Amino acid sequence: MAEGKNLYETVIVTSAKLGEEGSAALVERFKALIAENGTVQSVDDWGKRRFAYPINKQTEGYYTLINFESEPDFTAELDRRYQIADGIMRTLIVKRDPRHIVERKPKPEKTEEADIDVEAIAVEAVETAAE
Amino acid sequence: MPERPEREIRRGRKGRKKVCSFCVDRAEFIDYKDVAKLRRFISERGKILPRRVTGTCARHQRALTVAIKRARHLALLPYTSD
Repeated sequence: MAEGKNLYETVIVTSAKLGEEGSAALVERFKALIAENGTVQSVDDWGKRRFAYPINKQTEGYYTLINFESEPDFTAELDRRYQIADGIMRTLIVKRDPRHIVERKPKPEKTEEADIDVEAIAVEAVETAAE
Repeated sequence: MPERPEREIRRGRKGRKKVCSFCVDRAEFIDYKDVAKLRRFISERGKILPRRVTGTCARHQRALTVAIKRARHLALLPYTSD
């Protein structure tokens, strides 16, 4: 069964009219829906953001990113629910390539190493310049 | 030595050979959430810049357009300005 599952990420943009609590409640409902049909891996709350262009005469919305794992069939159902729900301005469901995620995770460690290297190189460069 | 003939061919036109910034970063994929990065590849009017301007390679340009279009859908980037 685990092989039949895929990794997805979804962004929900809720109307600023709902307020912080209203939008959090709406997102919570979808989180529960995803949890029923798969597993929620992580939730990233971007908070209130200005739209690049007005949507339905509104200029702001709350953005939430949810990473999850589920059967491929579930995305269609999730999308259908998105269309029905009130207060949702925009949504996006994207399949994540497991190869990219494997690379993304060890990155923070790598950048730390890189930072040290950069400093060392900089010090060397200064020394050689001084000579 | 190999630089000189190239320069002669390119005389009359300004600039040097552009390198795809995604290839330099060894980018495997282009994230639609990285608005700051995507902004560098759209014009002031919100249009996607052509490869000949940005120097992006064909493969990454294709991935870039998809990322920009996703970001536009979520109103992270404009379809058009003014």
